Amino acid sequence: MSNYRYWLGGAFVLAVLAFIPSTGSAYTTTLLFTMLISYALAQSWDWVGGEAGYINLAHFAFYGIGAYGFCLSLLAGVPIILCFVIAVVATSIIAFIVSFPLFRLRGDYFAFATLALLPLTELLAFNFHFTGGADGVVLPPKYVLFEAYYIAIGLVGLTAITTVWLIRTRFGYALKALRNDEEAAEICGIRIFPAKSKVLILSAAFASIAGALQGWQLSYIDPTTVFGLDVALIPIAMALLGGSGLLWGAVVGVIILSLFNQLLIVSLPILQTAIFGLLLLLIGRYMPGGLLRSAVVRNNKWIGFLGREHDQFVRATVSAPTTDNLPLPKQPVATGEPVLECRNVTMAFGGNVAVDDISLTINAGEIVGLVGTNGSGKTTLFNCISKVFEQKSGEIIFVGQDLAGARRDDASKLGIGRTYQIPRPFSDLTVVENIAMPLMNRGDESASLADSLGLATQFAAYVGLTEHLAARADSLNLQQKKALELARALACRPKLLLVDEVASGLTPMEVRTFVNHIRELRDEYGITIIWVEHIFSALAQVVDRVIVLEQGSIIADGPLADVVKDERVLSTYLGSAATEDA
Amino acid sequence: MDASIIIQIALGGILIGGLYALVAFGLSLIYGVARILNFAHGTLLAVGGVAASGIFAATAWNPLFIMLLLIPVLGIFGYLFYDHLLQPLTKRNHFEYTVGSVLVTVGALLILSDVAAWIAGPAPRNIPLRFEAIEFGDVIVSTTQAWILGGIIVFTVALHLYIKKSWFGRAMRAVTQDHTGATICGVKADKVHALTFAFGSGIVAIAAVLYAMLFPVDPYIGFALTVKAFTIIILGGIGNLVGALIAGIFLGLAEGFTSFFWATQWAPAISIVLLLVILVIFPQGFGRRKST
Repeated sequence: MSNYRYWLGGAFVLAVLAFIPSTGSAYTTTLLFTMLISYALAQSWDWVGGEAGYINLAHFAFYGIGAYGFCLSLLAGVPIILCFVIAVVATSIIAFIVSFPLFRLRGDYFAFATLALLPLTELLAFNFHFTGGADGVVLPPKYVLFEAYYIAIGLVGLTAITTVWLIRTRFGYALKALRNDEEAAEICGIRIFPAKSKVLILSAAFASIAGALQGWQLSYIDPTTVFGLDVALIPIAMALLGGSGLLWGAVVGVIILSLFNQLLIVSLPILQTAIFGLLLLLIGRYMPGGLLRSAVVRNNKWIGFLGREHDQFVRATVSAPTTDNLPLPKQPVATGEPVLECRNVTMAFGGNVAVDDISLTINAGEIVGLVGTNGSGKTTLFNCISKVFEQKSGEIIFVGQDLAGARRDDASKLGIGRTYQIPRPFSDLTVVENIAMPLMNRGDESASLADSLGLATQFAAYVGLTEHLAARADSLNLQQKKALELARALACRPKLLLVDEVASGLTPMEVRTFVNHIRELRDEYGITIIWVEHIFSALAQVVDRVIVLEQGSIIADGPLADVVKDERVLSTYLGSAATEDA
Repeated sequence: MDASIIIQIALGGILIGGLYALVAFGLSLIYGVARILNFAHGTLLAVGGVAASGIFAATAWNPLFIMLLLIPVLGIFGYLFYDHLLQPLTKRNHFEYTVGSVLVTVGALLILSDVAAWIAGPAPRNIPLRFEAIEFGDVIVSTTQAWILGGIIVFTVALHLYIKKSWFGRAMRAVTQDHTGATICGVKADKVHALTFAFGSGIVAIAAVLYAMLFPVDPYIGFALTVKAFTIIILGGIGNLVGALIAGIFLGLAEGFTSFFWATQWAPAISIVLLLVILVIFPQGFGRRKST
């Protein structure tokens, strides 16, 4: 379906909505107004919930702050336009401030902390004098339903446009990356805190306009109506009922739940809250993924498209690359210069010293094997170099730059690419999107989204994933995931590539292909490589030298042939079988 | 300032704090074992307290007897609640599991309080039992307070020993530390989850009756109690009962003195602010430092 038809359809819907008030029914208009406000709230909640993966139960607090900001300024005689501005600015500032503590938390803790914000804001509104306490704020009576309604249509249009925009921007992709795996997102060059903070502010700003409009239309607000627990969760329930993270999720959820609510108010004088609670409970129990993800909708010819997942949209646009050349600059090996220097690096977890006073130098164009028994500190050293951990003491110098205090995304942008021993792809994104992630997050050198996705196909072809370009990463098998890890690390355009046990579990044939890749990466593209591996036969084919770790210290460093004869290496690592071989 | 007033406030703070800790015990065990934040946990106390005071008003039975009656009722409720509504969610992916468990427990919260308000009315009520007052100089302690204080301490110690020594306690601790590992060692994790829900809800029944003997309860006080309980387990450490008791008493004292020295209406803010501050300083929880 073309974009053009979407725009036309959207404009048509808004035009029909704009026509409704002239039919003269205040009841219909009020109902639709409530639905418009609900959509803006539900959809803006889902930017944080569905896109970034943070369950923000305090969304309604921003709605309330917007309502209070607007009503109090209007009461103070501020012009109406300025009242909206004040509401948005005040809410955004508060969202910015609370994002610092909140985003230190994840998962359940985040959900709970945000839920605790609701009673706090309610309490503040109750206790302060300027908010009018329990009496709330009463605006001078004025009939503004139609004005508020038209602004709400504008707000809804803007919300829908922002939602579509988010899907197809680097910012949107940053959110998708961090909802899957924050550490991997940082390794791909994404600065995660600003992204999280931005999306919270964006969502809070929309919620505040919704609150301002509702306050204006009702001409009365009090703490319970804008911060109460039972009302606060309605928009969230709407987004989840439809299907969080789906383009049509909030729309469908809002329509169904608003009409249901209306029915409830009309037909049931008692237990409305209980029925609403029951509805929440049933949504949570039977379809936390949403109505649109249910088989009934998915398999329906007419409405099945409503439940399309993100990767299905991508599938339509991905095409195979014309060349499987690696889109990296070919450059000769610049030997001699040190690329990486570790000086007395120590890393400890509690009393457990994982890396103990390690000093090593890796020169440009070297392929270095890093070996050692399990738990000898290989991966921890990788984690220190790629800034996943900040080392306890010692210096890590990368191409002349001290990495002390650098963030993970800095390390990535400087040219350190890494793979994970246990692959950490962005599970619900496709192979191309996974690989495109570092390409579009390279600071000043970032490629545009379309270019990144195009280039990503070439990286995928290089590691043999052409068949799976549009497959979701979590549908790949282990070997394919490891190939994806390598492609994503290469897409960081590394000067130094840290490879963590990519070959284990591969067939001898696949190991040979991989070894050839490693050699080619060094010979053709001038990439320096440190390779952690247990398979000596694989290392033997390509490494210049081997560094052996034992209990966090280096016990041998030199050409493989020499190292395997070293007494200490033989006794601590290779064991008696190796002695026989030698 | 008169020292006896301070002592009186401290005593009240310790009492309410002990009750908070009782609520926190159940939440802590449930969260530790099933990794579910049961938002309805405090509401169970509110509803249990309303029920207890209703039974007392109708029959004038001994509160201890009402307590023994309520423990199995809430326990069975907790078991069925987990078994039918939450356990099926474990088969879903992480996001859906988190969202689903939030919706189910919040939904239960709304249903419980609204139905309780519909049946028993929204007005606060309590168990108006009068014991004699004991006077220590100017400090007045009712025998109710003394009994409850003693009860809380004995109960905490008993519970602590039970969790340390019994088979079920060990199973709970095993599942708390490593779900998969415990399953491999033959612990039926699903069963332990459901039984922990039952156990935690049963403890709430005890807290509910004691609470209603000291303070008025209404169907809507539940969520505030859940927030307090959560603050306590974050402060005292998940699964650490003695830590929870100390944290609970600390919170009770903080609230008591805030009301006295500053203003009563700000006392409820203490737990929320404390919770946020602790979460910010120790994102992984106070008693559960980041492990690698």
